[in-house]
Amino acid sequence: MSEISDATRFVQPRGRGPEEADPQLERIVGTVLRVGVTASSVCLAVGLGLSIIDVTGPVASMLLQVGVLVLLATPIARVAASIVGYIAEGDWLFVTLTAIVLVELMASVVAALLFNRGL
Amino acid sequence: MPAVTAVLTLIIFAAGTVAGGLGALLGLGGGIFLVPFLNLGLNFPIAAAAAISLTTVIATSSSVSAARAGKQLINIRLGMVLEVATAAGSLLGGVTAQMLAQATVQKLFGAATAVVAVIMLGRLGRRNVILDPSVESGRLGGRYHEDESGGMVTYRARRLPVALVASFIAGNLSSLLGIGGGFIKVPVLNAWCGVPLRAAAATSAFMIGVTATAGAVIYYGHGQLNASFAAAAVLGVQLGSWGGMRFGARASAKWLKLLMATVLFVISVMMLARGAR
Repeated sequence: MSEISDATRFVQPRGRGPEEADPQLERIVGTVLRVGVTASSVCLAVGLGLSIIDVTGPVASMLLQVGVLVLLATPIARVAASIVGYIAEGDWLFVTLTAIVLVELMASVVAALLFNRGL
Repeated sequence: MPAVTAVLTLIIFAAGTVAGGLGALLGLGGGIFLVPFLNLGLNFPIAAAAAISLTTVIATSSSVSAARAGKQLINIRLGMVLEVATAAGSLLGGVTAQMLAQATVQKLFGAATAVVAVIMLGRLGRRNVILDPSVESGRLGGRYHEDESGGMVTYRARRLPVALVASFIAGNLSSLLGIGGGFIKVPVLNAWCGVPLRAAAATSAFMIGVTATAGAVIYYGHGQLNASFAAAAVLGVQLGSWGGMRFGARASAKWLKLLMATVLFVISVMMLARGAR
């Protein structure tokens, strides 16, 4: 694979490449995902453990519901955090694109609420 | 939907572990194995199976991407652009999932996986690596360090409209079938858009959390998501994908492609058989 190491001497050209623009954003996104998935996994694990011991416990079912909701909220929070990150970078094209994704996610929440009320 | 019992919960946990392990090796969410198991094996309605599977896709995407963040393997910019298409497709898929016949969707699924498997096999030996150091990666390209060769891999994302269309279809099938959609995006990004398999898989894994959320939220609102089964599946998949990722870092891209194609063929036959019944 020696031909691949030739690319090591790659020189960053003018303009903003992905490597220099995103490390901070990548860290923030990583933190949001880690916190969200850890919180929801703990809720789901404790809730599932309790429900196996005591199948009809109210605490268990509440923890399971919270775990599922935190899980569903995590990618939404990640998109919201990205918008803030791109605003900080002044990258308005990506602010716009990411905002469109957030609007689409909100539209699916609205669709869910409509289904929940029997349309 | 089957009643919640401790035994069934443990079975789903175990199935999740296997699905998560295989999914991590292939750069998929694991849903591609879990949905057939729940639907064909345990007789869950496809909507309930899809809802459970989508929660595992979100969990896998989140934990895998959190672990990879900072290593530049995920092409966040390309991911964000393509999410505009996947989220739209997923939203539409989540709504149409409530209206389509199960057999129709299963046949579509079988056909799509077979096509992708053929594409995958046809490109086993190709590497999408820019060898000329004077070529810039462009705004949507990327560079990452490859452990196998010890070198930097540089690539440029090409044919963005193709990637957008594939992402829309992937998002649509994601919420219809309860899968991540990586099985469409990864081969398309790899075969037509110049993104190396590793980066395509990492970027797809990053995107599918958002894609799956757009669909899962709709199933949840419709009361089709059982929290106990979802918890068992999510925790199992987390365990499995953790194990799979440790092994996957050492697996070669060619080996990954071969395994992926084989798995796609098996799933294709299973889904076509059930859809035609």
